[in-house]
Amino acid sequence: MEQLTQATINGVMLGGYYAVMVLGFSIIWGVMGVINLAHGEFIMIGAYLTWIMNKQFGWEPLTAIIVVVPVMFVLGYILQRILINRIIDRPYLISLLVTFSLAIIIANATKLIFTATPRTVNTVYSGFWRIGETSITVPKTRAIVLIAALIIMGLLWLFLQRTRLGKSIRAAAQNREAARIVGIEIAAVYALTFAICIALTGAAGVLISPTTPIYPFMGGPLTLKAFAITAMSGLGSIPGALAGGVVLGLVETLIATFVPGVGTNLGIVSSFVILVVVLVVRPQGLFGGLKAAEAH
Amino acid sequence: MLATWRRYKLTRWLALVLLIVLILLPLPQFLAPERKLVTNSLLFSFTQLFMLIWMASNWNAFSGFTGYVDFGHAVFFGLGAYGTGVLMVKLGVPFPIAVLGGAIVAAIFAFLIGSATLRLKGPYFSIAMLGTFVAMREIVRIIKPITGGGSGLTLPPYLNRPLFYYVTLIGMAIVVLLIWLMRRTQFGASLIAIREDEVGAEMRGINTTRHKITIFCLACFSTGIVGGLWAYQNTFIDPDIVFFESRTIELVMMTILGGLGTVAGPVVGATVLYWLRDIIWANFLDYHLIVQGIMLILIVLFVPEGIMGIIGDPDSTSLGRLWKKHFGQGEETEQPTTTTEVQS
Repeated sequence: MEQLTQATINGVMLGGYYAVMVLGFSIIWGVMGVINLAHGEFIMIGAYLTWIMNKQFGWEPLTAIIVVVPVMFVLGYILQRILINRIIDRPYLISLLVTFSLAIIIANATKLIFTATPRTVNTVYSGFWRIGETSITVPKTRAIVLIAALIIMGLLWLFLQRTRLGKSIRAAAQNREAARIVGIEIAAVYALTFAICIALTGAAGVLISPTTPIYPFMGGPLTLKAFAITAMSGLGSIPGALAGGVVLGLVETLIATFVPGVGTNLGIVSSFVILVVVLVVRPQGLFGGLKAAEAH
Repeated sequence: MLATWRRYKLTRWLALVLLIVLILLPLPQFLAPERKLVTNSLLFSFTQLFMLIWMASNWNAFSGFTGYVDFGHAVFFGLGAYGTGVLMVKLGVPFPIAVLGGAIVAAIFAFLIGSATLRLKGPYFSIAMLGTFVAMREIVRIIKPITGGGSGLTLPPYLNRPLFYYVTLIGMAIVVLLIWLMRRTQFGASLIAIREDEVGAEMRGINTTRHKITIFCLACFSTGIVGGLWAYQNTFIDPDIVFFESRTIELVMMTILGGLGTVAGPVVGATVLYWLRDIIWANFLDYHLIVQGIMLILIVLFVPEGIMGIIGDPDSTSLGRLWKKHFGQGEETEQPTTTTEVQS
């Protein structure tokens, strides 16, 4: 019983992280119709920037967010202007291939610069909190990551609901032509959306850095998980991302705890099985998003 | 010259394929040990090329014709390889039967996964296949008693390079020929109809799901054979070398470079890219994957119709228009009559 409670707590905390990790991916898809297969690689860049801050200047990992977000914003803006802008209205095969190539390029360039050695960051928030007299524990780093993830999602929700730019982004996702007619600059909105989503993805990289080793090829599985969660949650939906993230986090943790001899390697298999089941049973996603998840 | 090329395109291509086959067939005849005209390593690299053409043709027969982009085609290569390996090592089945068994394993898996995922539209199918690929590698790693897990399987060694050369050459030629014939049947036309307008095809009475699953299983069966041949030739398989990420992307790259949805495209693209890749490896060993990635982006952005597209219809690509502007004067009159053939 305690084992089950422990696994549930861990799964929910992992799920909160997954939710913030997936949002950049699902908003780009919802607004531009581009499936960013380099998503995991942007998380990896964010994590490496955190590692540099941590090793060179001794920063606490989570404070690196104030450097990572602006850097990733600029990177995203430039990439959108020179590359992504060219593939928005093309068949989806083209956007898949271009972003997949981008993923290969980023991962291998990172390997050349930082070598394939896994890196870890140091944090003062190590250790556990014990709950009552039981053996159930809450790892401090993961709890803080969860709180940070919830804060980021809250800010993003406010941004999308309350600001003018946020409303423009939602309008462009719902109906591009109508948005253009009422005077929204679609090109500018696209560029800013991509930049904001990459900044968000970089922030997810900051959050992941204290909990896992950082290495050049960590991105692929993350992209796949992002896709699985997006298929569940609908495009660009924050509550959906939270629910989908928690489902995936729970399934992964429960399998790792109760199925002997498989470990967390099966996480990717479970996310894939969830993906196929959800797509077959309910292709429009479990939650409504910016718009129903449909083929571009 | 381009005009006559276009007019007799199909005959020419068939002739060209036969010609290449005829030129290449005698190669190992020179394999007299004292004359170093044809070495085993040259035969080996040709064998690799034939396998790539073979697989790229399979990929193209499904993805190029139906428009459903299979982003994890290497999973069927891997299943073929492991099916063959397990049958030979654990059950002692002779190779020809084992390779058939491996291909059947791949086809059955294709049927199961295809029945579920081929109902999905566009990108969902692609990513589901990418997920299948990554998941299958982990599954193969986990079921140690059958697959040997991470430490792999060692097949009985059988290093007869000329034999592998001929088997892959003949297999490849048969597959290309079959696809060429298929393209001219009603079945092939239905596949193109699915690519161009799936709802319309459905309304015309084409059972689209059955067509998609049929061609998917056939293509995967064929890729399974290649996987089995590769495993036997390599004599060692483990999850990482068999389920190798860039194998699928290479097939996609070759097909697009040659011309997606054309019969000759994969043949041309694979041949060009194979030799190009050797040059890249020789010159940029450390960052060959980066160069390959940049190349793929450039191909996709600027020559999406591929080499066959440029030959068939120069107007369709920016590079083709540039080529025509400088080298193709006086051929514009041929254009209207030939554009209908271009899709083939």
